[in-house]
Amino acid sequence: MGVVVAVAEVGPSRPAVPDAIRHAPDQRLGFSWACASLPSVPRKSPVAGEVAAGLRRLIKEGLPVTPSRADAALLELRGIVARAVDPADDASLTAALNGTLRGLLARFPDVRYASAARALFGLPPAGPGQNLTVRRDLAAAEAGHEVHHFRKRVEPKLVERLAWELLADADRFTRTPMIAPRLASASGRQPILADPFAWEVTEHEEQLSKLWSALYAARAELLAVERLVSLRASRIELTHAAVTAAWRWAAARAEAISYTSAYTQEMAVDQLITLAGWIPVLTEAQASRLTEAAVGGAHREQFVHALHNETGLGDAWIDGLLNPLPIGTSDENGQPQ
Amino acid sequence: MTTTNPDLTAALDAASTADPRRYVITGGPSSGKDDLIEAVHAAGIPCMTEEPGREIYRKHRERLGRHLRREDRREYSLEVLEAFIAEYTGHKHGIRFYNRGIPDGFGWEGFFGLRPTPQLEEATRLYRYDTVFVLDPLDTFEDPDDIVWAKDREIRRVHELIVQGYYDTGYEPVFVAPDSAAARLDLICANLRLPKPSRGA
Repeated sequence: MGVVVAVAEVGPSRPAVPDAIRHAPDQRLGFSWACASLPSVPRKSPVAGEVAAGLRRLIKEGLPVTPSRADAALLELRGIVARAVDPADDASLTAALNGTLRGLLARFPDVRYASAARALFGLPPAGPGQNLTVRRDLAAAEAGHEVHHFRKRVEPKLVERLAWELLADADRFTRTPMIAPRLASASGRQPILADPFAWEVTEHEEQLSKLWSALYAARAELLAVERLVSLRASRIELTHAAVTAAWRWAAARAEAISYTSAYTQEMAVDQLITLAGWIPVLTEAQASRLTEAAVGGAHREQFVHALHNETGLGDAWIDGLLNPLPIGTSDENGQPQ
Repeated sequence: MTTTNPDLTAALDAASTADPRRYVITGGPSSGKDDLIEAVHAAGIPCMTEEPGREIYRKHRERLGRHLRREDRREYSLEVLEAFIAEYTGHKHGIRFYNRGIPDGFGWEGFFGLRPTPQLEEATRLYRYDTVFVLDPLDTFEDPDDIVWAKDREIRRVHELIVQGYYDTGYEPVFVAPDSAAARLDLICANLRLPKPSRGA
């Protein structure tokens, strides 16, 4: 369960590597490929101080920002990157920053100071090309303060507030493809608006829920196998559990293929399926064969029937899963050596 | 409840033979757009009946028999663009409100990580609206922890990407804060120097 919770709570700060990945059995075995395929983490937001400092530097000349004046701390905010038509292009990022700042200032939440904040950054009631002194005078007048009091006491708070709005905006753009949808008690029916965006967004959550449900089902069965191996259960019991794990794992891989083909180019199927847990090394053809047998919601019996003649694949999966860890690959506490 | 104001009717009549004036009402899902469009109709103001994207979306779903994939979305958005251009060019005189505008396409493309098509960029350059009203979301999540469903977060993201599309294409949208549909329509009319529909019935 640690996978979801650990990743879901990231917010604007860098998330910890999920425990289930950090302590994955494959690492105990020393396989390096697992470490190389850690899921991509959401982009880290700069701290509020850096954002506020970036905004203070912008005040000098006001909006619009030009690429040479835009701080990296501002351009790297998730909300800016997500809005940019080409995130690799500074001009595109700067256009996104301008749009975002204009939008946030147009909706500045403190009604009393909204007009002052806009004037300070060079938006109406300030005019184009006005220098900071003129804009500050105007902003102070809009706020009803004497200009020195405004500069020393009010202006820093306006900048701080705008920085907070930028960070809140960045949080809304946290990329969440590796996060299982959080669940909460439904307080009532949630009708979906008749709107293509709403349909698409809802369908995305449907697919995301199916994906994670399949990943967790696979994880449960892989855990069951490891528990039975540890318990030294009978060969019959172990084989039954291993086949069930194969069925669930293959179904999860099918869901991962369906999800990535519809919604993301940024994530590989292998990255997603690794979250379910460790499995024996399979060739691409073997993984595909397992997936084909599980596709379309096949029952366990159908899955087994479809793979009836796949002796080599069965051996690779079952022997790989059921063989105990080779002696010497872990210390007495189970840590990799 | 919105009622038709005779002064508003007179203003609309007076404008009906003049050059076209096109006003966009947009915003993400959950912004109260449908209620406002209904209020616009109830006030007797010329307005698009239904956003064309809905029917086109239904048609694509029906034809594909599954959800839209990346490769399908481009085709869908081009068809929607054609419908929006037809709506735009079909209007010759007087005031008309639009349920979303051509630059909304930038929000759609951005949401799915697609680059805007040359057709969308060209249409945005050629077909300009007079004023764009962005309805801010009715749901305000003061505490990020309140946003529990993936789709709620995504809906907010859609909204911001739509707004950015308008800024990127040279518009300065007017933001309409959450309120009743009637109050929002009054604000919009006041901004356009039109008599408020709720007055003088």
